[in-house]
Amino acid sequence: MIFTKRQLLKNSAGLVALSALGLRAGPSRAAAGEFRMIEAGGTSGESIEKGYIVPFTEQTGTRVLRESPSGLGKLRALVESGDSSVPLLEVSSPELYQAVALDLVEPIDWDVVNPDPMFDEAKHEYGFGYQYYSTVMAWGEGERAPKDWAEFFDPEALSGKRTLPDYAAYILPMAALAAGSSIENIYPIDLDKAFESLERIKDSVSVWWQAGAQPPQLLKDKEVQYAAGWSGRVAGAPGMEFTYQQGLLDLAYFVVPKGVDPELKKAAMGLLHEMSVAKNQAVAAEVVSYTGPSPDLEKLLPQDRIGEFPTTTANKNVQMFNDGQWWFENADEVEQRWQEFKLTL
Amino acid sequence: MTEPGHLPRLLLTLAGITVLLFLCLPIVIVVPMSFSSASSLEFPPPGFSLRWYQAFFGDGRWLVAAGYSIVVALIASTLALLIGSIAAYGLVRGSFRGRALVESNVMAPLIVPQIVTAVGLYIYFAKLGLLGTLFGLIVGHTVLAIPYVVLVMTVAIRSFDLRIEQVALTLGASWPTMFRRVLLPNLAPSAGAAWIFAFVISFDEVVVTIFLAGGIETIPKRMFNELVLQVNPTITAIATLLIGFSIITVGALALLMRSTGTVRKALG
Amino acid sequence: MTQSPTASIRPGRSARAGRLGATGLGFALPVSLFLLVAFDVPVLMMFGWALTSAKGMFAPFIEFFTRPVYLKVILNTLRIAAIATVACAVLGYVLAYWLRSLSGTARLVALTLVVLPFWVSILVRSYAWIVVLGNNGVVNRGLMDLGLASEPVAFLYNDLGVVIGTTNLLLPFLVLPLYAAMIRIDGRILQAAETLGASRWTIFRRVFFPLTVPALAAGMVLVFILTLGFYVTPAILGGGRVPMVANMLDMLINRLPRWELASAISIILLILTVLLHLLYVRLSRQAGN
Repeated sequence: MIFTKRQLLKNSAGLVALSALGLRAGPSRAAAGEFRMIEAGGTSGESIEKGYIVPFTEQTGTRVLRESPSGLGKLRALVESGDSSVPLLEVSSPELYQAVALDLVEPIDWDVVNPDPMFDEAKHEYGFGYQYYSTVMAWGEGERAPKDWAEFFDPEALSGKRTLPDYAAYILPMAALAAGSSIENIYPIDLDKAFESLERIKDSVSVWWQAGAQPPQLLKDKEVQYAAGWSGRVAGAPGMEFTYQQGLLDLAYFVVPKGVDPELKKAAMGLLHEMSVAKNQAVAAEVVSYTGPSPDLEKLLPQDRIGEFPTTTANKNVQMFNDGQWWFENADEVEQRWQEFKLTL
Repeated sequence: MTEPGHLPRLLLTLAGITVLLFLCLPIVIVVPMSFSSASSLEFPPPGFSLRWYQAFFGDGRWLVAAGYSIVVALIASTLALLIGSIAAYGLVRGSFRGRALVESNVMAPLIVPQIVTAVGLYIYFAKLGLLGTLFGLIVGHTVLAIPYVVLVMTVAIRSFDLRIEQVALTLGASWPTMFRRVLLPNLAPSAGAAWIFAFVISFDEVVVTIFLAGGIETIPKRMFNELVLQVNPTITAIATLLIGFSIITVGALALLMRSTGTVRKALG
Repeated sequence: MTQSPTASIRPGRSARAGRLGATGLGFALPVSLFLLVAFDVPVLMMFGWALTSAKGMFAPFIEFFTRPVYLKVILNTLRIAAIATVACAVLGYVLAYWLRSLSGTARLVALTLVVLPFWVSILVRSYAWIVVLGNNGVVNRGLMDLGLASEPVAFLYNDLGVVIGTTNLLLPFLVLPLYAAMIRIDGRILQAAETLGASRWTIFRRVFFPLTVPALAAGMVLVFILTLGFYVTPAILGGGRVPMVANMLDMLINRLPRWELASAISIILLILTVLLHLLYVRLSRQAGN
């Protein structure tokens, strides 16, 4: 053997240390005193920490470990692997329907959550709608403001580079509007017309963004003049303007992965209750200008910035709502056409 | 041919320097930006400030991430060096059935696209309960570092004359003595290089880490998330620190190799 | 692989001279076991997804070949990889040739600079290009100040941006082995050619260049393989307009959890890479001789 005794000793010591590390950080310790949650990350994650986790831990003594980013892939991995240590995972509204169809989620125990008053759409059998966000028009300071999506999608009426989401669900409704649909009868979306709008504008689109931070950065760098971006990113950011007019309102949900430890699920329902409390939602909205599902939240928000929040009565009335059910039913076809469209860029 | 004329010579120098500049441009640009007073990425920087270094050293989360990065990279690179070097020796000096297979298997993590490895490990680790553990992350990084260690060590062992080993053994040295007195001192510089290589591979790894790390933050994972979530010049300060660290280690390595005369061999 | 690399390096010596013989396997055992448990099994399990799809055994493969979009993305990846490879080859050859002509400290410094980028995060190096090449970036402002361009040139968020970023990252992988091959060329051969009255250009074309071709080709294959799996750079510099297979896999895995299809594409990608790798092994063995 080429090992000296000392080396052997060192090696086995290393292995012992390794396994000790593994045990220490392992999910096995995720007993009743704490649980893991998977959320979107960034300032949104910080808002969950400040708004909901801090009061929850104060009251129950249960610690919550946040992990990010989230996604259906992670949900599927949890379920397929039988990992029962994550009782909460964040999804978008189209993802919620897909998760239900793929049989990856359990119903929310609404009796245990026992929520304060919430908007109806936020109380889904399988999802707790905890955060409203909106996809809105934004433009660089000094640029001419677009009247509506029709003008936004017309490169001749409004010259300048654009950035659009690289997610069909956040841009096709606008493309349909630009093609002549009205907010009331936008669903079912006429895919042919919507893709025609995209075809018309695609040469003016510099970047198809995947990360919410990109639109404000691109506007600031003057890489683009116009953006369709998430409200929490562009509202109140320096060097740019935005409007909720014809914005696309959507909800982020927390779901319970199938097969989760019932003890942890019960604890997690307590955290969801904290998310229904208007006072907590106001704290979260201070961190990022997305809003919680309480109808009483509006008066608790900072009044000098009230125009920045997506669910105030004034702002909610001028927006359209994304139809998660439609997206779920048409997911396959849309995804296919979207990918094919992207290849023609 | 060996002595090009003046004009071609000048053109060659110009072209060579241009390519070298292209190669180093990203580094050249990052360093001054880290000392910028601007609150976004701007070049040239409008003024001098150390605010991004303060932001890094003042933010516990960055320091925790740095701690994890260092721990993971240290253990993963050492483990990879250990089993990788032994394997390299066996591959070069041995002849056995299935050697080609072993060799391809060792190189496979380098060839298989990382995203494929990442997904495979993700599902597997989830089943074993290793997702989000330091242990799992270290195992993943070790897998990725092994091919680099084997590559460097195979070349080193191959270029080390087998007859010297044989002479030592013929003169009555036992295998362990030969290993300690002949092999180890001669291969140490290459092992050092392989180790640093493996360390950097692990330290810079982002794709597999994003999948496996769960709640554990490493520097590249945080950087990637920051780039995605908000553009933050703190990243340039970290990059500059890393560049400084790299220059120091490369310098140390050069000294190490020069002291054993390998630098001449390596550079021809 | 009938010929072992060691045998080809030490021609004329029989395998018996390898002192370890069959014990070599013992040395390779720890690493093999480790990789078996921590790499082979997980990757094979992943492949299992493509074959045990609920829709039928080969359903994901059928989907791959019947829906043109996936094949198109692979073709696009191959195209980008080919462009980046050629760019690396041209730039790399010039750089290696220049390095060869240097001596002493200049060579050491230049080589250090070639190696230096290796040590800097891929993320940082990709991201730096945004600052360099953006509309408001150094290059565009320079061009406009000099009057060479009236409006910013679109370097980023297109094929060009991805190629620039990729080439920059992979150049050292080509330069170093190529340089090593160049300095191994015996100067006496070149001198002999010169004595025989060949012009410099002829010597380069007929003697020097052919001797470097195997190393150049091996380096090109390596760069090509590495580009196929690139994920970070297209994500940062492609602006969502340059579909590459790694980013498509990320989407199929993380966004739509279509693991069966992702697994099928991974298998196809792997077969492609292994074939290229076999080519690489052959070429680099030629380069070594």
